[in-house]
Parts: sequence; structure tokens; C-alpha cells
Amino acid sequence: MITTFNPDLKPFEELAISFAAKELSKSVEEHDRYPFGPFFSEVLDKAYEVGLLGITLPENFGGIGQGISTLCTVLDHIAQVDSSLGGIILTNAISQEIMTSGDGELAKNVFADAASSSSFLVAFPSFSNPGQTANMPAAERSGKDFTLKGRLEFLVLGNIASSALIPGRLSGTDGYSFFLVDLSDTGAKKSEPIFTLGLHACPAVDVDLDGVKSRLIGAEGGGEALFEAASNKLHTAAAAMSAGIMKGSLGEALAYAKERSQGGREIINWSEMRMILANMAVKTKVADLCVAQACRAIEANVQDWGHFSMSSALHVHELSCELVNDGVQALGGNGYMKDYGQEKRYRDARQVQAFLGAAPLKKLCLIKEMIG
Amino acid sequence: MLSRSEVKSKISRYPEFEDAALSLHYARRMPKAMLKETQEVVAIARKFNDEVGRPLALALDRKTHEDPNFFPWELVKKANEWGFYTMWVPKLFGGKGYNMPSLSYFVEEIGSVCLGIANVICVHYLGIAGLMMAGNARVVKKVMKEVAEGERTGNPCIIALAITEPTAGTDVEEIDLEDKGKITCHAKKVKDGYIVNGSKIFISMGHLSKWTVLYAYTDLKKSSESTVIMMVKEGMKGFTIGTHENKMGQRICPASVLTFEECFIPDELVMLEPSSVKKFTDQKVRDIKMRHIDYIVSITRPAVGSFGTSAARGAFEAALKYANETEMDGKLMINSEWVQCMLAEMYKNVRLGRLAYTEANYANQHRGVYNLLQMKPIYYMLKYLPKAYFDTVMFPLLDTRLATWLLSKWYLDWQKPKDQHCCTGLGSLAKFSCTDIGVRNCQMALELMGQTGLRHENGVEKILRDAKLLQIYEGTNQLNRLNLFKSLIAPAFPKARVFEE
Repeated sequence: MITTFNPDLKPFEELAISFAAKELSKSVEEHDRYPFGPFFSEVLDKAYEVGLLGITLPENFGGIGQGISTLCTVLDHIAQVDSSLGGIILTNAISQEIMTSGDGELAKNVFADAASSSSFLVAFPSFSNPGQTANMPAAERSGKDFTLKGRLEFLVLGNIASSALIPGRLSGTDGYSFFLVDLSDTGAKKSEPIFTLGLHACPAVDVDLDGVKSRLIGAEGGGEALFEAASNKLHTAAAAMSAGIMKGSLGEALAYAKERSQGGREIINWSEMRMILANMAVKTKVADLCVAQACRAIEANVQDWGHFSMSSALHVHELSCELVNDGVQALGGNGYMKDYGQEKRYRDARQVQAFLGAAPLKKLCLIKEMIG
Repeated sequence: MLSRSEVKSKISRYPEFEDAALSLHYARRMPKAMLKETQEVVAIARKFNDEVGRPLALALDRKTHEDPNFFPWELVKKANEWGFYTMWVPKLFGGKGYNMPSLSYFVEEIGSVCLGIANVICVHYLGIAGLMMAGNARVVKKVMKEVAEGERTGNPCIIALAITEPTAGTDVEEIDLEDKGKITCHAKKVKDGYIVNGSKIFISMGHLSKWTVLYAYTDLKKSSESTVIMMVKEGMKGFTIGTHENKMGQRICPASVLTFEECFIPDELVMLEPSSVKKFTDQKVRDIKMRHIDYIVSITRPAVGSFGTSAARGAFEAALKYANETEMDGKLMINSEWVQCMLAEMYKNVRLGRLAYTEANYANQHRGVYNLLQMKPIYYMLKYLPKAYFDTVMFPLLDTRLATWLLSKWYLDWQKPKDQHCCTGLGSLAKFSCTDIGVRNCQMALELMGQTGLRHENGVEKILRDAKLLQIYEGTNQLNRLNLFKSLIAPAFPKARVFEE
């Protein structure tokens, strides 16, 4: 839908479709075995080479300098096939957004000078809103820099990225701040990869920091403002992943329904199956429209675009979590097996819903902003 | 106000009041000792959860991801040691004879900790239902004897049920679809038995079962009239157990592919075949087949309802624990109104689920498969007569033709269609409503818990994966909705047709 509104983005759409077909589609189940199977490092390297890890990062920072519409187009098509890579792209986009807003010079140094996918990745706790997290590391000033001490849970990309953007509380300051941490520091102890519901190949770890040297990003106590600015926009990117999952699920359900027989005819010719597919189609189309219009609202800088972005995302995530259930159901017992794609989408959709914080807390944030 | 005949006339009108409020009518008929027995069952389940279930559940699930060929042998041995594989086997057949409805509450307890463990224990009773409902006392006696021996010797004897085929899932659970389906498991009559060729899929505990209740068909185009139900034992020539299905959830309980290649099954293991139907009834073979299936699913679907309720409960308990321990904006989440409303909604789902499967149990207790065992004189006789009486007096009688005739007559011929509709319809109602709320509560728990819920070690994500299967097996929830319509709504509307659009 986005490229219908903006045909200039077709090349990016084609790139995402072709990348997903070539690099992802044949090994989805194999990639999903992580952390009990190998990580898809080669795929990640290729994603880095073609620019998928820096879609919204300015060109002079080493990115491809595109807007939210391009990011959403790519995430949609990647998530139709395997949303784990989408999770990596999105998490890195959050880090990039916060870093470029908070300290452009430093961001330029980190990303423009990156020599590999791992140094281009900046880990981030992308399944939470740090402002709603009770526990985070404590920061202390140490000359020009700072040191961090304490535990941070669920640091996404923490075991594959060279550095991390970590929220910390600075004594004597209200709120929290963001700090850039070198994850190879001996004081940074990472857990084994967390075994999660979905997005298995978008890994996360818990990290214990013991006096780890770090650089402040943005103003002291300015973490919340940086997170809000980034998340307001990137809620829509998470929604694009959900929309992609929905399209993938609908596509597989339709294909199966045309082939599988029951009671002597294809199941697509039973009216209840048609109703299930119709409900899936309605949700998918609405999600597509929501994401496209939210992108337009963001790029046109319309009043309260952040509210549109967050509301669309919350709605699309809910639709997605409902739809993937039907997606499995349409395939019956086969839908529950890892030989098909539906069970992964069933898991991934819930995980994607949790990007940038728990759904009810995001709703409370929205209404808090609206009522002032 | 109204005369007695007026009252009778009004309450007999559709929807008949007795059908609509079974518990109100039947609770008083229940033997009092059943309640104490059920309380004991719940207590045993809680003790098992404390000592075995909770310490093992997540570790075993993780193990299945690390090693796709993992089988829960140790867990099966534990369940066997705890006596779970004979607990609901009637005393007549060498079991402990706990009342069957109490199995639902047991399932809910065990399943609230781990649906996979609950299935490892309880899918055995799906096999037993298939065995019993075929009505052949001689074969039931033979197999049940091994189950009891397996418990005594520490060598578990589990029974699986094999109906689903690679190209026929829903079709083989509904007689109106069966003959149009792509059924492939063929039984050819030969001297002294049958030769079976074909395969079965998604067979829970297939790899760990000693005996399997097998459905094969002499005429694949008219399977509804040519079904042969027989027992097949592990290791029989031509019977192999192949792949271990790679499922999303309930991974502790393996689902197996069974293959039959020129597998000879002797007559002595054949329980029901078209020619044997004529020995106890004038009804059509097709109708008896549907009755047999209905009898099984009338038991198993409320049981899946209790699985669904257990998923709803597990998710609720995890969300409650989280809300009770987690602070947001400096106060415990449990003290926020929106959290309290969410938890209340989840609690409501659990209670409504329990009511749904309880109502279905009442139907089975008084209008269906359990009615004989729950009649007070028979219930108390079975409960209090010494085991020796069963072993010496009753057990030998099971080999007689009269015993098989009586069992077949009782189970497959005498139930009135109206009662059959009530049991199967309420079974379906419990199945789809409880399993839907199971998944619903998991979704709510995950939303509440955010990233904490996504982590394997916190359990909720596993319940979400496990619970989804409940909406699929024992007939998809769509088939169960149609079965409810067919059984509880369509009989009052003669123009209504099901599976004929």
C-alpha cells in the first residue's frame, strides 16, 4: 500500500522482496532454531551489505538516508517471510534514531566507521519503554565520561553487536539518560541468549555491568525525550512488521485452503473456511492501510502525528495477534507444525506486539499524552 | 399459578429446561462419595505438581528444543509410579476405579502447571476410551491387564488412539464427511485376521505406547460402513513408528507418525468390525460407527475443555504473580484498577471454563457413557467391594460372549439419540469455549507482562504455544461448533442441514 501512494519507493520494495526470497525463505525454520542452532550471521552480513541495517540513517552516517515509509516497506516484506531479521533492523533503527538525535557526531563516528555488521549494530532494550522500567543500571560521572553499574534485562542484539545503547539513572538527575557502552568491555557480562517466544533469530541477552565506561548520549536526564521522539515514529515500523506477518499468514492460509480437501472438496469451498479467510483478509487490508496512512502522517508532519503512529501500531498489533491464530487454524494440525510457517507467525506476532513496551502501558502513555 | 401439566408442557418445549440446566437437575443424583473422591484426586494432582510437575515442566520443554528426538521416558515412569495410568481404569478391569468426571479436575490441576505433562498422563485415557467404547470385553480385559501389570512391574503400559490420517483429520471424526474424505488406511480381511496398510499421523504418545487403538477400513470409498477397530501392539511385524512431529507446543508429549506395511493383525485383537455389529443391534453399521465416535468425543472433548481451562488458569496465575510482584510508577501493578479488571476478566474465563466442562460431565454422568458407573448402587458396589471379588468373580466373566454383548449393547445400542445429542453437543461446547478462553487468557497475560512474558523461564509463552493445539485436536473448534449446531440446535429445526452446503 505504501508504494501505491509513493511509487518512488518501488526499488526498495523490490530489494526487500528479492532479499527475502533469496536469503530468507528457504531456511526460515533452520534460522528459527537459534539459540539451539547456528545464528544466521551470513544473512545478517548480506543485509548489512545491501543497506538494510541503516535504512533511516543519513547517508553521510553510513546509512541510505530514507524515511519511515521506506523502513516500513522493507520491514513489511521481510516480516512476511521471517520477522527475526525485521526485529534486528527495527532494533538497530531505534538505536540509530536515538543516537543521531542525541549526539550526531558520535553517531556518525560509530556508524560511518563501522567495518562489519556487528560494529554497525547497536544493541538496545527494544521490548521495553525504559521510563516504565523499575530497574536499570546506575550511572556515575567519571571525568568526561561515565561508568555504569547494574543489570539490564533483555538487551536485544546484545550478543551480536559491538556496542549497546543503555538507559541508566544518573544520581542527582531526574529521569534517566542513555549511554553508549562498548560490549567488549571486561566489566560487561552477558548472559546466554534468552530463549523467547518468537523472533528466535533476533537474539537478546541480559547484561550485568560492573563499572563499565560509557558515553552519555544527549542531555543528562534526557533519555525519556529521546525515547519518545524515536518511539513515536518507530511504533509505525513495528506495525509494519505486524502487517507483514499478517500478509504472510493470509497468503499461506489461502494457498493451503486451495489445496487441502475435506469432505470431498477443497476446504476453500466450505463457507466457514471462507469466513475465516475473509476475516483475515479484512484485518490484513486494514493493517496495510493503517501503516501506510501513519507513514504519510509522520512524513507530512501533521499535528499529533505521534498519536496516529502509536494508535495505528496498537490497533495493527491487536489485529495481527488475532489473525495469526486463525492462520494456524486454517491449516489444522499442519499449521501447528514447524514444517509450515504459521506457527512461527503465531509466536512472532505476540513478540512484535511487545516492541517498545507492553501494549496496555503504551495505551496508557497515549492517553496520558492526549489529556496532557 | 400453573397446573402441573402446564409446567411440564412449558418446560418440555425447546429449549427443554432439563437439557438447558443439567447441573440443577443432576447434582443431587450424584453419589456423595464422588465429591470426596474428587477432592482426593485434586489433592494428589497438587502434590504431584509440587514434587514433579513444577520442577520439571520448563526444563523438559527446553530439552525438547535442544534435542528434537527427546522422549519423556523418565516422566512416564514417574506418572506410572504415582499410579496415574490405572487411576481411572474401572476396578472391574484391574484399575483403581476413581470416578471418571474427577479426571477433568485432575487435568485442570496438572495442566495449569504444564499442558504437555497433563497430556503425557491423560492421553492414555483417550486410548482407553477408544478401547472401552468398542465394546469388546475380552480385548479390554486383555489390554487392561497389561496396563495394571505395567504399573506393578514399573514398566508403563500406555494406550494410544490412532484415527487421524495424513490427508484426513476432520473427515475421520464426522460420519457425514468420512465417505467423501481421502482416507488411506486399508484393512484387508484374510484368514484369521486383517492385513493393514497405510499410515496415521499426529498420534499423541505413539512412540511411548505399548498398545494402539487402530482404525482401518476395508472399503476406502465407504469407510463409514467398513471400519475395523483393532488393537496393535508395539513391535508387531509391519508396524513402525516413524517421525517425531516437530510441534510448536505440548512438546513434552510427542506426536508420532505410525506406518503399517502388510501388518497382520489377528482376529483376537479385532474389537469391532461390520459383521460384529449385527450381533448386538439392528441399527446401521454407519450409525453405530458414529455412536462409537460420539461416545469417545463425549468424554474426550470435555477433557480437552479442562485442558483449555487449565491453560486459562496457568496464564491467569502467571499474570497475577507478575502483577503482585511488579511495580509501575512506584506502586504495585496489582493495585491499578485496569490491572484488577484485566485479572478479573481472566479469572472469569477460568470459572466459566470450569462450568462448561462440568456441565458436559453432568451430561455424560446421567445421559451418557458414565451413567452406569454413576448409578448409586453400582457406584458404591464398585467402590467398596474388595479387589479379590473382581479378580475372582467378575474378571473371568469378561471373556464370555455375554460380556461383550452386554458391553456393546450398553454403550453402542441403548443410548437414546436425544441423550447422545445432549452429550456430544455439550462436549463440543466445552471443547471450543474452554480452549478459546485458554488462548485468550494467554494473550492477556502476555500483554500485561510485556517482555517478561516473552521469556521461556517465566512460563507464559509456553502456555500460549501449548494452548493453541487445544483449538485443533479432538476436532477443530470449527468442527465442534458445527457439531454443537447439529446436536443441540438443528434437531429442533427440521429444515436445517449440516455438512451439506
